[in-house]
Amino acid sequence: MSDTTTQYFDFRNALTPNRLLGLWRMMTDFRFSYIAATFALAISALAKTSVYLLLRFFADDVLTQGRMLGTTMTQTFLWIGLGFILLALIEGGGAFLSGRLAAYTAEGITRRLRDFLFDHIQRLSFSYHSATPTGDLIERVTSDVDALRRFFSEQAIGVGRIILLFFINWAAILYINVKLGLLSVITIPLILWVSLWFFKRVTKAYEDYQAQEAVLSTTLQENLTGVRVVKAFARQEYEIEKFDKDNWLKYVKGKFLLLMHSLFWPLSDIVLGAQMLFGFIYAAFMAINGEVSVGDFVAYTGLLIWLIFPIRNLGRTIVQTSTGMVSYQRLMDITKQAREDLDGGSVRPTGAVRGEIEFKDVSFIYSDGTHHVIKDISFRIKPGQSIALLGSTGSGKTSLVNLLPRFHDYTGGQILLDGVELKEYPRKYLREQIGIVQQEPFLFSRSIRENILYGVGRSVTQEEIEAAAKAAAVHDVIVGFPDGYNTIVGEKGVTLSGGQKQRVTIARTILKNPRILILDDSTSAVDTETEASIRGALNDLMEQRTTFIIAHRIQSVMKADLILVLDKGQVIQKGNHEELLAQFGGMYRKIYDIQTRIDEELEVEIARAN
Amino acid sequence: MSEELLELEEEEHTSKITAPVFWRIMSIIKPHWKWVLGFLITIGLVSGLDAYFTYLNKQIVDEGIRLADTAVLIRIAWIYGAFLLMQSAFVFIFIYLAGVLGERVQYDLRKMLFNHLQNLSLSYYAQNAVGRLIARVTSDTGRVSELVTWGIVDSVWAIMNIITSLTFMAIINWRLALIVSAIIPIMVFVAMKFQKYILVEFRHSRRANSKITGAYNENIQGVRVVKALGREDANLVEFQHLTTKMYKASYRAAWLSALFLPTVQIIAAVALGAIVWYGGVQIQVGLITIGGIQAFVSYLTFMMWPVQDLARVYAEMQHSIASAERIFKLADTQPEVHDRSDAVEAKTLLGEIEFDHVDFFYEDRKPVLTDFTLKVNPGEMIALVGPTGGGKSTIVNLLCRFYEPGKGVIRINGLDYTQYTLESIHNKIGIVLQTPHLFSGTVRENIRYGRLKATDAEVEEAAKVAGAHDFITTLEKGYEQNVGEGGNLLSVGQKQLISLARAVLARPELFIMDEATSSVDTLTEALIQKGMEALMKGRTSFVIAHRLSTIRRANRILVIEDGKIAEQGTHAELLRQRGHYYNLYTQQFRHELEVQYGVAEEGTSNEREGVTADSIMIRREAGEAVAAD
Repeated sequence: MSDTTTQYFDFRNALTPNRLLGLWRMMTDFRFSYIAATFALAISALAKTSVYLLLRFFADDVLTQGRMLGTTMTQTFLWIGLGFILLALIEGGGAFLSGRLAAYTAEGITRRLRDFLFDHIQRLSFSYHSATPTGDLIERVTSDVDALRRFFSEQAIGVGRIILLFFINWAAILYINVKLGLLSVITIPLILWVSLWFFKRVTKAYEDYQAQEAVLSTTLQENLTGVRVVKAFARQEYEIEKFDKDNWLKYVKGKFLLLMHSLFWPLSDIVLGAQMLFGFIYAAFMAINGEVSVGDFVAYTGLLIWLIFPIRNLGRTIVQTSTGMVSYQRLMDITKQAREDLDGGSVRPTGAVRGEIEFKDVSFIYSDGTHHVIKDISFRIKPGQSIALLGSTGSGKTSLVNLLPRFHDYTGGQILLDGVELKEYPRKYLREQIGIVQQEPFLFSRSIRENILYGVGRSVTQEEIEAAAKAAAVHDVIVGFPDGYNTIVGEKGVTLSGGQKQRVTIARTILKNPRILILDDSTSAVDTETEASIRGALNDLMEQRTTFIIAHRIQSVMKADLILVLDKGQVIQKGNHEELLAQFGGMYRKIYDIQTRIDEELEVEIARAN
Repeated sequence: MSEELLELEEEEHTSKITAPVFWRIMSIIKPHWKWVLGFLITIGLVSGLDAYFTYLNKQIVDEGIRLADTAVLIRIAWIYGAFLLMQSAFVFIFIYLAGVLGERVQYDLRKMLFNHLQNLSLSYYAQNAVGRLIARVTSDTGRVSELVTWGIVDSVWAIMNIITSLTFMAIINWRLALIVSAIIPIMVFVAMKFQKYILVEFRHSRRANSKITGAYNENIQGVRVVKALGREDANLVEFQHLTTKMYKASYRAAWLSALFLPTVQIIAAVALGAIVWYGGVQIQVGLITIGGIQAFVSYLTFMMWPVQDLARVYAEMQHSIASAERIFKLADTQPEVHDRSDAVEAKTLLGEIEFDHVDFFYEDRKPVLTDFTLKVNPGEMIALVGPTGGGKSTIVNLLCRFYEPGKGVIRINGLDYTQYTLESIHNKIGIVLQTPHLFSGTVRENIRYGRLKATDAEVEEAAKVAGAHDFITTLEKGYEQNVGEGGNLLSVGQKQLISLARAVLARPELFIMDEATSSVDTLTEALIQKGMEALMKGRTSFVIAHRLSTIRRANRILVIEDGKIAEQGTHAELLRQRGHYYNLYTQQFRHELEVQYGVAEEGTSNEREGVTADSIMIRREAGEAVAAD
């Protein structure tokens, strides 16, 4: 039962259509502690019941019949007093042990569930992530995981607790007197039924109340974020009325919820009270008639309370368990998704790739349709050469380069890397060989140093980091921050501009030192000045590496060894800058002309002003 | 993320109660004193009856069974039954009164805070993140209303229960009752210590939880980078550190909670053992009966409930008081911009508007505007251009009187505008923001926000003028289409068209627009331009401009840099100067045309569209049509 052992459990083993079975499978490795928790609970309940049986012994055997433990009466009383303390210790110890074991189970399962989901989600395919909103995933991995935690820590054990208390106390009463035992549970089915009925309804009313609270929050949030609009239109009064309407409705729903509670508890009190009073008085008459002893009566009154009152809460616990079931289902929806296979592949290359790439009639169709994202693309480049992809959005440029690290797998044709089919390489290996500078740089909220080091996967000195940052023309910016390389991105108002972020990711790529480079329109988000410094950094980076450049501007692609002009997933033009420029009427020439014309138009505009 | 942690920290803040805070909290429930009195009396009766039932059980044994007196037994049964019914009625009353009052107090507090927030100036909003203000209105009010209702109920029940139980015990046997009363303070003390430790662990676990959520969020959003860099294994290891922290804290909190009640009970059991031992001796001399012993067992067994309640209320109270202090602080904040006592109504804003040597700085920040002077004639259109942070928004904020000048005067029609009522100024302003803000509800409701009494026909007319009508009719439900939370079901361009229509409907005399920088498709852009033009006719307007077509249309262009007017003049004048404006303009010119020709995209928009070679020319024509309009 160590706190620090981190086991990794694959929850795909818990996938089953039967939700209860699934929950049971999730408890693998924890079943023993869970059963032990239930056992400890039983011990605790037995001890509690024994308190009343000891009281019965005290009343009947000791006080009435004068039986002695030891030599004197005083000694007997001492033993009995110690007996009560001992029973309390057992009861308390059992309750504590059971609570601790239940917590161990619930927290342990939750911890490895969190670990699993985190890992599973980061290993799901690109397609899955493109199709799934972040908010939905977050909701599941937080709220639903918490609902399962409560299922294991409170509800599963709670149902067991109430049932154990009931049967142990009932057994004790039946042992005292069978008739009394049977008469004591007359109203139990009724109470159970009412409790289930009530908590089902109250759960619904509560959800309703919560929904109204959410509406109120939205109104509030929209008002606060839109404060300028509210003020500019002088709509304070209107807003006050709107908020008051939602606020009042929430009050009304709360009132209804409270009315339900204020009726349920006293009404069930009456039923339980009637059952209790009936039992007491009936038992008292039996005592007077000599059917039971005084001690029997005393024990009975204590036991009866623990028999009937907990039943009232059983409905609540049972209704709550259904939440756990729903959450199980929602989490299993994620779990059943297939992961990317990072290590599969028939070749096990040891060194770095050379970077010779050949596309032979490559096509790619998304799994959900017949729509070609790219179609019949062929070209070949030698190690260290650069290839530029030019085309509008949706022409398939990004999809094409996404095939290289096998973010998606092509559906037709062949891609050969150093003469070997790309699908034969493990994804992990490919991704180590390829560096990507994405169009929209993504930095993590950790220090700039850690961001540069992110994913490098070897130990790196501060000098190396600074050299990379200098090469990416971002070193001076970084040392300008009060905390330098330790500056946490996004904290305390430290915001990096798009260009600065871009250069941090370039520094990261420099440090990674990949053989193949993908530059996804890396200069589109920055101003002209920054663009020049990034371009300089990129040119250095491209030396000796096979490079894919995605761009919109002629200026960015004209130096490439090969330029592909793409449209609707197909290559419509292929060649180097001079060749393509010579093709009059071609797309490349058109774009070139447009960009030249823009400069001319500007001149005209300015001339007009003069 | 860090903002969330700060909020968490704030929530965990505790405070000791002081007399002024106490009386102020009391003043919250003062108007409802009848309800409070009602649940105080009933909870007291319930508590007393709880203790009395145990005493009645003793009577059944001692007076009924041992004396074999069935008449007494039946009498006790009647009393018992009657009291049970009464108690049920009391339970109904106190749950209803305390519960509904809790809701009511929450309603009152929220209303009070919300209304107060409406009057606070923009400067307050600038200093306080929206998340915190929401926490003030939602969770803080919840905690305070809980304190003044259930907090009181629980502590009164607990104290009454302890007192009445002790009283009955004293009636049964005062010596034994003394033993019990000696043990109760120990129980309460231990319980409070436990609550304190448990709360600390809960705090750790909540903090860890918020970090875990942050890690999930970041890893999902950055999953493409994670995959590209093959960082999966390292990320899992890092994440496992977080879950281990969380595990340790919540496991500890859970088992401390599991230890809490048993410990209190064992203390009670020690007292019970003493009583059985000492009481047994006394039974022999007739000082206590078997029923009496039974009653002591019951009283001690159930003593843990009031003790637990007291400890819990005490622990929660410290948080609730901190909440109350935050609420009071907000309620005491005075709006910086407010009407003067002798304020007059502004008849019209269509007069000369003058900034006379205006200085302005935000809280603790360097000056934003220095010695800013500007005269605007009625009906003039002013375009504000220049770098971010140069002061353009500040000029607009001052003009709207969201803020007032730190030094210098702003005059409308020759009169210092602080002499006018705020409402009379705001009534005559129409505003369209860069990130257009819509409210949940239908399209129609959002446009009508401009003039609440407008008829449906007027709403549609305004939409037509603003160029929004056509796209609205293509929506599935037209004007009745729900726009989603904050309008998120619509695109940025559509939201801007609706906010233009809203401004049109308001029939403003002064129109202010902050143009969107993110891309809007060409057709929508053309519609927005037309809508703006319609709005500006016969009105004074200020536009923070990004589009060339807007800039070209202005009567006067101000280039704002470092809180000053760097250049001003007409488009042609400024181009000739070949200064800041010339640089800004040529850069924007190149960019816009590239977008138009489809050879460049705007980096961050979600609204990118496919552009093919064929469509380039069509777009170009559309662009020219807009420019010529």
